[in-house]
Amino acid sequence: MVTKTFVDILVVALPFLYTGLVTVYGIAFFRNAVTVERLKRPYMLALLVLHLVYLGLRTVAFDHPPITTVYEIMTLLSAAMTMAYVYLEFRTNIRNTGFFILGLALIFQTVSSVFIKDLTVIPEYLHSLVLGFHVSAAMLGYTGISIAAVYGLLYLMLYHEIKSSRFGVIYSRLPNLETLETMSHKAEVFGFVALSVAIVIGLFWLPRVFREFSYLDPKLVGTIAIWVLYAIGLMSKRRLGWQGRKTMILALVGFAFVFIAMAVINISPSSFHTFH
Amino acid sequence: MNLFSVGISHHTASVDVRERMWLSADEAAGVLSALKEHFFAECMVVSTCNRTEVYGVLRDGDVDEGAVKRLLLDAKKADEGVRPDHFFTHHAGAAVHHLFKVAAGIDSMVIGDIQILNQVKEAFQSAGEHHVLGPIMNRLMQATLHVGKRVRTETTLCEGAVSVSYAAVELASKIFADLSRKWALLIGAGETGELTIKHLAGKGIGHIKIANRTRAKAEALVAELGGTVVDFEQIVDALRTVDIVVTSVNSPSYVVQPEHLYSVMRQRGNNPLFLIDIGVPRNINPASRKIENVFLYDMDSLNAIVDRNLEKRNAELPRVTTIIRQEMVEFFRWHRSLQVAPTIQDLHAAFEQVRQQEVEKNINRFRPEDRELVELVTRRIVNKLLHQPLSMLKEGSENGSGGPETINRVKVLRELFGIGIKSKRDE
Repeated sequence: MVTKTFVDILVVALPFLYTGLVTVYGIAFFRNAVTVERLKRPYMLALLVLHLVYLGLRTVAFDHPPITTVYEIMTLLSAAMTMAYVYLEFRTNIRNTGFFILGLALIFQTVSSVFIKDLTVIPEYLHSLVLGFHVSAAMLGYTGISIAAVYGLLYLMLYHEIKSSRFGVIYSRLPNLETLETMSHKAEVFGFVALSVAIVIGLFWLPRVFREFSYLDPKLVGTIAIWVLYAIGLMSKRRLGWQGRKTMILALVGFAFVFIAMAVINISPSSFHTFH
Repeated sequence: MNLFSVGISHHTASVDVRERMWLSADEAAGVLSALKEHFFAECMVVSTCNRTEVYGVLRDGDVDEGAVKRLLLDAKKADEGVRPDHFFTHHAGAAVHHLFKVAAGIDSMVIGDIQILNQVKEAFQSAGEHHVLGPIMNRLMQATLHVGKRVRTETTLCEGAVSVSYAAVELASKIFADLSRKWALLIGAGETGELTIKHLAGKGIGHIKIANRTRAKAEALVAELGGTVVDFEQIVDALRTVDIVVTSVNSPSYVVQPEHLYSVMRQRGNNPLFLIDIGVPRNINPASRKIENVFLYDMDSLNAIVDRNLEKRNAELPRVTTIIRQEMVEFFRWHRSLQVAPTIQDLHAAFEQVRQQEVEKNINRFRPEDRELVELVTRRIVNKLLHQPLSMLKEGSENGSGGPETINRVKVLRELFGIGIKSKRDE
């Protein structure tokens, strides 16, 4: 009962806390305020811990990990993005891109908090460890793809400022073009590998669990189409030596495709690939 | 406060005057000794291309400004061309304020100069090595260096290039992550082009190629900076292998055309190419800007960066002024406490002297086993008597609220208990 109360509080609080975090990162980015600069890291770490606590409490309260609905997966994706950004910020010491990446985490968490439902009765197969690996890999894959797109967008913004000799806040505060391109590429490769793992696990596990399994299932086809698209993109980059603006546009197009495809597929009622 | 500063700077004197007054390390050492001998209890000298300034704590409250100036002029034998009105003088708070402004970089010719703080630090170290510093100058320099550090960490006063050549290097750093893995080509060995390539070399550029119509000049530059010489006729070919190109050729027509670059970009796998055209008239056809991953800048666009950076630096001035004000308050709070600390010590000493005299006189009246107790009790009485006046004195100096009031209390206490007066009378 107490756990459920905490879940109810956190489901409302998280979007507001994310709004605060994005605001702090936004002020640090646009105003370069020293006090806010000092505040943003502890705030981010505290919020990440709180978000993980929320996911843990949710698992305990409803007796299943939050992977059964789109909105449960969205909060998981939001936490994964925050975690990925924490890793990136500490690993590279590039502290000025949080506004953009955490902004995406805020959007996912807000949508999740508004629409999430408390499911207590779920099918037995949702307790499977394999499903946990499958969903985790898919989440990491989509997190990588999303982060690659954000860095791609930042690259294009900076590219435009440098090309047009309009040196504004983007020019002042972002890291250089080469770094943004490298970060986008690494996130994309990471996302692609994670997505590959999710697909392989799914292809082995799903036919055993679902009687109505079909290789023509929209979600399966959509995911494989996304995988093929990224495979072609990464291969072209390697083989044809594509660099710079063109590849960043491709990262954004890929992300847009993923977003639209996933939205359409998840709304589609014909898929067996829904876990509730 | 007996602080005094005198000197010349770019505000008061032209470069030829400043040159005459510039002090080498050896000359500065001589001047420091002479200043200490004749005028100051503590002192230091800052001498750079833009300023020669003396800071010191006067031996007496008053100073013969003309004599200090004369000492400096004599040290440099600079009577000709240097007039007394080339010098500025500051006293007390104004001298502290001036030194803080210098260290902050807002008194420099180019606002936000980052070198000046190191120069002030070196001047401080030099004064220390020559044993001409004391508690006040030491504390003042700590505060000065703190101002400089705060300005650099809490504001963006020193950020952004403010010369064309540095602006080019700044732009290169916004395109490429690691300049040590990039190659640069200098076409033509004009002054600004040469300066730009030197800045790039200073940033650790991987390799330098130089092409010049007069090959000997290119070879001379290569001998200085390292790298290789490229035939002037081969420059378009060289574009395939370099990432940064600086052109500074005196040519009536464009040396690099868009068709050259389309072909080059294909050959180099569309790797970004950064072109800095410093030539007047321009050396690279501006239509090349449209080519993807080609970043072309001319003098106008580089000047725009410089102007923008200067504007941003000026916008930081209020924040810098606040830091200076805060540090001045801190410094003067400490300085006021200096007046209190000796009074406290003197008062303790005076009371202790009376106690010891009285105990010595009367100690034989007590039994041996009680004498330790007598010591203890008399000490306690003295401490209790002093507690209230000393607390008030400390409080006044710590909260910094009553500068004149604290000074007044010090004065009254000294008069009431004859501190200072007695010693003078004894002398």
